[in-house]
Amino acid sequence: MLLSSGMQNVYNMEGGIRAWQGFVAHGPPEAGMAYFSPAANIEEIVGLAWSLEEGSKSFYQGVVNHFAEDKEAQEMFGWLVSAENNHEKHLLETYEALTGVRPDLDKLRDKFRDSVSGAVMEGGVQVKEALAWMEGKGVSESLEMAMAMEVNAFDLYIKMSRMTEDSQARQIFEKLSEEEQLHLEKLADLLESRS
Amino acid sequence: MGIMNYFKSVPTMTAEEVRQALAEKHPGEYNLVDVRQPKEYERDHIPGAKLIPLAELKERLAEIDPQKPTIMY
Repeated sequence: MLLSSGMQNVYNMEGGIRAWQGFVAHGPPEAGMAYFSPAANIEEIVGLAWSLEEGSKSFYQGVVNHFAEDKEAQEMFGWLVSAENNHEKHLLETYEALTGVRPDLDKLRDKFRDSVSGAVMEGGVQVKEALAWMEGKGVSESLEMAMAMEVNAFDLYIKMSRMTEDSQARQIFEKLSEEEQLHLEKLADLLESRS
Repeated sequence: MGIMNYFKSVPTMTAEEVRQALAEKHPGEYNLVDVRQPKEYERDHIPGAKLIPLAELKERLAEIDPQKPTIMY
């Protein structure tokens, strides 16, 4: 049907999703978009993304504290905490490159205190809930959960980069999705080394 | 448009080829379309895939940019 409508370069993926070996996202098409309205200005987008990264950072720090006896887990989740710090740094740098100014983090913190404020992590889960879930689980399960959250964030940022009309906003989302992709690859390596 | 179109089948790519193509390209450089049902999409989908169930494809062709390569699954 696509070919008969005149489209070129159409490919069907053999085997469908069952054959897919890469990262897999979950949730409906509009998942996460309640946070990022396509009409948001880039300061708001940066504020929200930063807030979600703060959330992920709290989660990872919580996991570091929980697996206090496990040296490897300490290293892995400690790495994840610093990865989130780097994401935030790059996010702010991208914003500054685009606008010429640094975003006012205190102003953003106040603005987003009611809606997000670091209580929600990337992937849209409440940090408290994620930490409670993790209580009875082991390190590999916690890593898998981290991956699932990060993949959903990746999914969201790709979609937002396509949906947004503002070219600066698109660049922010592209930056975010690139960071997530790198992050995911590292997480996958960590999981493999653990198994 | 003639009889030869009936024999045209959509070229395929392996999942590994798709994975590599997506890793190398910018999200804005291709269309990635999931033609399954919403429940299946919710359960699992390739990050960045747009859901257009097969039955809706004809009406929603405008959502697929013809200038870019399109990968479907």
